[in-house]
Amino acid sequence: MTLDADTIRHMSETSVSIELETEDMTLNIGPQHPSTHGVLRLVARVDGERCFDVRPVIGYMHRGYEKLSEVRTYPQITTIVNRIDWVSGYANEVPFIVAAEKLMELEVPERAQYIRLILTEMARISSHLVFNASYPLELGAATPLFFALRERERVLDLLESVTGGRFHPNFNRIGGVKPAYASGSQTRKLAQDLPAGFLQETRDAMDKVLTAVDELEDLVAGNEIILARTKGVGVLPPEVAVAYGVSGPNLRASGVAFDLRKTEDYLPYDRFDFDVITGENGDCWDRWHVRLQEIRESVKIIQQAVDSIPSGDLQAKVPKVIKVPKGQTYVRAENPKGEMGYYLVSDGGNGPYRLKIRSASFSNISILPWILEGILVPDIIAVMGSLDFVLGDVDR
Amino acid sequence: MTSSPSDTETHDGGAQETEAPEHPLQGFADRVAEAVGGSPEIQFDTVKVRIPAEGWVAAHQTARDDLDLVFFSWLSAIDWSNQVEAGDPLSEEVEERIELMTALSNVTDGDLVVMSTDLSHESPTIPSLVDVYAGADWHEREAYEMFGIQFAGHPNLIHLYLPDAFVGNPLRKSYPLLSREVKPWPGAVDVEAMPGRNGSDEPSTENPEA
Repeated sequence: MTLDADTIRHMSETSVSIELETEDMTLNIGPQHPSTHGVLRLVARVDGERCFDVRPVIGYMHRGYEKLSEVRTYPQITTIVNRIDWVSGYANEVPFIVAAEKLMELEVPERAQYIRLILTEMARISSHLVFNASYPLELGAATPLFFALRERERVLDLLESVTGGRFHPNFNRIGGVKPAYASGSQTRKLAQDLPAGFLQETRDAMDKVLTAVDELEDLVAGNEIILARTKGVGVLPPEVAVAYGVSGPNLRASGVAFDLRKTEDYLPYDRFDFDVITGENGDCWDRWHVRLQEIRESVKIIQQAVDSIPSGDLQAKVPKVIKVPKGQTYVRAENPKGEMGYYLVSDGGNGPYRLKIRSASFSNISILPWILEGILVPDIIAVMGSLDFVLGDVDR
Repeated sequence: MTSSPSDTETHDGGAQETEAPEHPLQGFADRVAEAVGGSPEIQFDTVKVRIPAEGWVAAHQTARDDLDLVFFSWLSAIDWSNQVEAGDPLSEEVEERIELMTALSNVTDGDLVVMSTDLSHESPTIPSLVDVYAGADWHEREAYEMFGIQFAGHPNLIHLYLPDAFVGNPLRKSYPLLSREVKPWPGAVDVEAMPGRNGSDEPSTENPEA
């Protein structure tokens, strides 16, 4: 059942060269294909059921955000950056805002940092749940979709109750988070804080998410077809992964215990107890399993954070017109898809001189030509799905 | 950026003393700079090592093999230009050049270094890093189309995002934002006054119901 990649390649070479006279053909996959999570085109040379020389064609969604950022002000850019990886829009805002705050040498109030952290972890849970919904579906198992999306709705409702948005919250402000307004009023800051009952609702929702994760694991991990299609398929060795800049759960599934939440200080993760989940073989199965287990770790972080959230301000004192002093910095964060970073160059104006956006999915799918070399055509879907990318995060 | 080591020191830790304490990353910065033959600077907790263009590939080889900086985060560039068509011009004149940068990190404690080198503004050319870091492939293609940098020895230096027939290098400062040439951005002015503006928390008089 679990043939390793070398055996498969060897078998294929033998059967192709000895038994059959075959002719290569070029197969065009995409750009419109359900498993591509956007618009990605693959041009593959196919010899029978095996593909070689796979060339991804990207750029169908290129929106030129780096250029656009040069003609926008800092507060306007948060609306742009949360559209990069729209499955976890909230998480994209944080490293950009932190980069600007770093240049301004602002001290962000603790309560605001905790709110950012809770919402970032909610974005991670919702992103991983989308993966847990779509990946089994791509492999033919429809049921987990309903379990995962039901839980994601719970998390998105909580996100919405704080930020007013489900996908593009645009909730961070330089110096803190956006003060909440009383519902229906654009003018009165009646409720300058988290909505009433938010912390308790979060605790309840997290318990339900935990139960659902167990259910999901039972559903998928016991499914023989899924096991057969993912174990030993698309093996990514750690040394290849790092050379391509593959990050996040994809890298950890290959056995590298590297998590920017443990090494960077963009949010106060060092105050919470959580584990870095790693895989052993770096195959599709491990990539699925790491993400499933990471939901539990995120729940753990949120539970600790809602219990220890300090009271206080939501905003540091900032000038009305944000001007960021001259300087350069790179701030990176552990996003659900991997390393998301912004290299910010400011010339002292109210918009950046240059903003380099390092998105996780871009590097994560640059591995495709390597990882798809010599695999079966149906496994393309299994491997691509397991990398969990979003085309908005690839094309920027 | 034209910052000298003396004006980067003031950013360290935000301390008020005249003698700034040594930045916790200073040791790492010095170690990398010495190994690759460059000069270190620390700005806002980001270590940058400036190296001459001739030593570009060798420096990356050293970083990967001797310094354990195995993780290739990104490669990109900055167009330092006095002729700016989109966005605000620089506050003071600079020496025109293309600054090419890579970000490398280890996968243990997350130390990250930005390698930087200057290329000519007219015809930027540099050897490719594909043989050192396989991940440089796509990043170099992006820098090629966006900045017009030629990477010698790159196996497949074609457009990445842009259509094949696209002319120009959009991230060059001399490249205008074309949609704004046709129609000024409507968001530049507020069409109607927002309630509660000008810093007052008072409800605006335009909307007394609220």
